[in-house]
Amino acid sequence: MLLFREGSREAFEELFSRHHRAVVRFAWRMTGDPSSAEEAAQEIFLRIARAAPTYRPTAKFTTWMYTIARRATLNYLRDTNDGGEKVPILSEGEGEDGVYPVQLPGPDDRNPEQVVWEAQLTERFRTALGELPEGYRAAFVLNRGDGLSYEEVAQVLGVTVQAVKTRIFRAREMLLSRLSKDVSA
Amino acid sequence: MGCRDIHETISACVDGEASPGEAAAVREHLASCERCRVLERQMRAVGAGVRQVRGSVPDRFREKVFARLESEGALPKRKKVFPAAWRWAAVPLAAAAGLGLFLLTSRETVRGPVPPGPGTARVETSAPHAPSPQVDPAALSTEDREMLALLDILEDPAAFDANDDAEGMELLAPGDSADSPNPPRGGRSEAWPGIHSVS
Repeated sequence: MLLFREGSREAFEELFSRHHRAVVRFAWRMTGDPSSAEEAAQEIFLRIARAAPTYRPTAKFTTWMYTIARRATLNYLRDTNDGGEKVPILSEGEGEDGVYPVQLPGPDDRNPEQVVWEAQLTERFRTALGELPEGYRAAFVLNRGDGLSYEEVAQVLGVTVQAVKTRIFRAREMLLSRLSKDVSA
Repeated sequence: MGCRDIHETISACVDGEASPGEAAAVREHLASCERCRVLERQMRAVGAGVRQVRGSVPDRFREKVFARLESEGALPKRKKVFPAAWRWAAVPLAAAAGLGLFLLTSRETVRGPVPPGPGTARVETSAPHAPSPQVDPAALSTEDREMLALLDILEDPAAFDANDDAEGMELLAPGDSADSPNPPRGGRSEAWPGIHSVS
């Protein structure tokens, strides 16, 4: 990135090669459909190129990149009238007993994180993810999807680590609740 | 601690973000609460669900991104092998290189006479194949004298002894002189007519 900031086109090409898959994945998870993800991902790289002169190597490059990616995606969603804060699926206190009538992959004798989801369940999950408030969705996607720590997610979103912890927990509750409703319907 | 109070910490524990104290409290609670054990597994599963939403890189994504970056001037130009500034500098550089080459190649003609050292081969000529009388053999370098000797042979093919060709070549080997510690095979000190080694 420092080389690109100094005017090296080759450095940007290398940067693109390394990170374009992660950027597209992030945009896909945040927007929920391929055409929006492509538009948003293009916008992310445009903003990275424009923001290069302001880059300072004080934080991890990926943290800086996801900060731009999140802002670009949020703006894209707002521009397309799809990014407003959603009405929370849960009202306060709902689901407090911690029991959701949903059968997610992972029988008791298997690790639920290692199981490949069926296409139908993945589609339901993608829909439920898209209905999360953007702030919850971003926190959850960055942590569970892109592997950022709570501290890094906090830097990207500009919030405290405690706020990240709460957002991710709330995202989990909402997703489980929504998937349970799908099962009940 | 009640179940509701610990759910957020279970979530952090699933993500590996709970402190050691929090993790211990969660383990203790889960050991005695079946409902929270189920919830903990659901939390893990729903976390894995994000990675199931992968998407794929669109066709020609790279070309589209770079075309857009180019059109908006957000990308540095690709560097040329000979940028404009260097193109102009190439002319004086080429001139300087040519001048240097000329000086190097003409040095042989302008340098002064080299005093003969011990073991320096001298050219003794015999008519009619003597060099020009204006040329003082003592003023010639070893290389010049060898060249003149070769010219003598070319002018008089009869003086070239084809049978001794191979041995004559040995006489011209580096370090071969009258006082050479390794005299040529057969001990001959003179292979070509008109060339005599003198000490």
